[in-house]
Amino acid sequence: MKFTIIKDLNQDSMMKPILSGFLFFILFFLLSDFIVKYDSFGIFPHALQSTLFGNEEEFLDPISEASFLEFWHVEIFFIMMIIFTLSTIIIRLSKASKSAMFAVNLMMISAITSLISLPLAYYFSSKFINIYVITFFIWHILALISTFYSLKRLHYA
Amino acid sequence: MHRAYKISIIYFAIFTLLLFISGYMIFELKIGFEAQRALNYYIGDKELFVATKTNSGILKLALAHIFGFALLSMVVLHFLIFTKFRNRVFVKILLYTILFAQFFEIFSPFLIINISEIFIYLKIFSFFIYISFITMVLYLLLKSIVQVKFR
Repeated sequence: MKFTIIKDLNQDSMMKPILSGFLFFILFFLLSDFIVKYDSFGIFPHALQSTLFGNEEEFLDPISEASFLEFWHVEIFFIMMIIFTLSTIIIRLSKASKSAMFAVNLMMISAITSLISLPLAYYFSSKFINIYVITFFIWHILALISTFYSLKRLHYA
Repeated sequence: MHRAYKISIIYFAIFTLLLFISGYMIFELKIGFEAQRALNYYIGDKELFVATKTNSGILKLALAHIFGFALLSMVVLHFLIFTKFRNRVFVKILLYTILFAQFFEIFSPFLIINISEIFIYLKIFSFFIYISFITMVLYLLLKSIVQVKFR
């Protein structure tokens, strides 16, 4: 995270392409995450319901507990790493503006809420699926907006 | 400590605890905390048709954990530099214990299948040591944040 102490990132000939590259790959990751989750686990309530609890009409078995826990465990780690690195970059490029701090805090809280609501949906009540869907979209959209904003600050500020 | 830094530590602590809860649940479900059951996971069980784990199979699973453990420990432990605990002896003991525990937690399965079944106790013990000691570090960090806030 040494880039946090470089004075003018926009003018730094090394850090600018490094951070741009990282941000582009985060963009690819976020977009790919939508597609992969849509295809596999589900990102809308009906699909999630089928994944977690099965669907008799479509002859779908529910996800096993082991598979669910592995999915959850990997998700926590990936989301943690992506959100923290992205937040550091956003805060640095926006010079910790109020709107950037608000976006970062909202992104963190919605990501944590989505991660907590998922096992609650699996183990306690399917009502938590709706909370998972809403918070999933909130943190992904905020992450996308923040990535675009950071790229703009890096190249056009 | 800078306010934004304190808030980020709290977020990181929450994510870490979620990671530990999910890890604990997976360990309990797939391997088990009873020595015999955990041993059967690695050396197999003919009656339950569980195959013996191979070195390459263990390495495949260990791969992600080698990086994950290293990164998590580094991030959590480095926050201690910014607290009053940085020069305390017990923190150094905590640090080295965590590093050894994570090493044995990841690599003890190789000892189990290649050397002796007794290392199953090392696997279970190092797992508990790792998660409890990291949790202890998180407690110290949160204590440091609260103390600075109310000074």
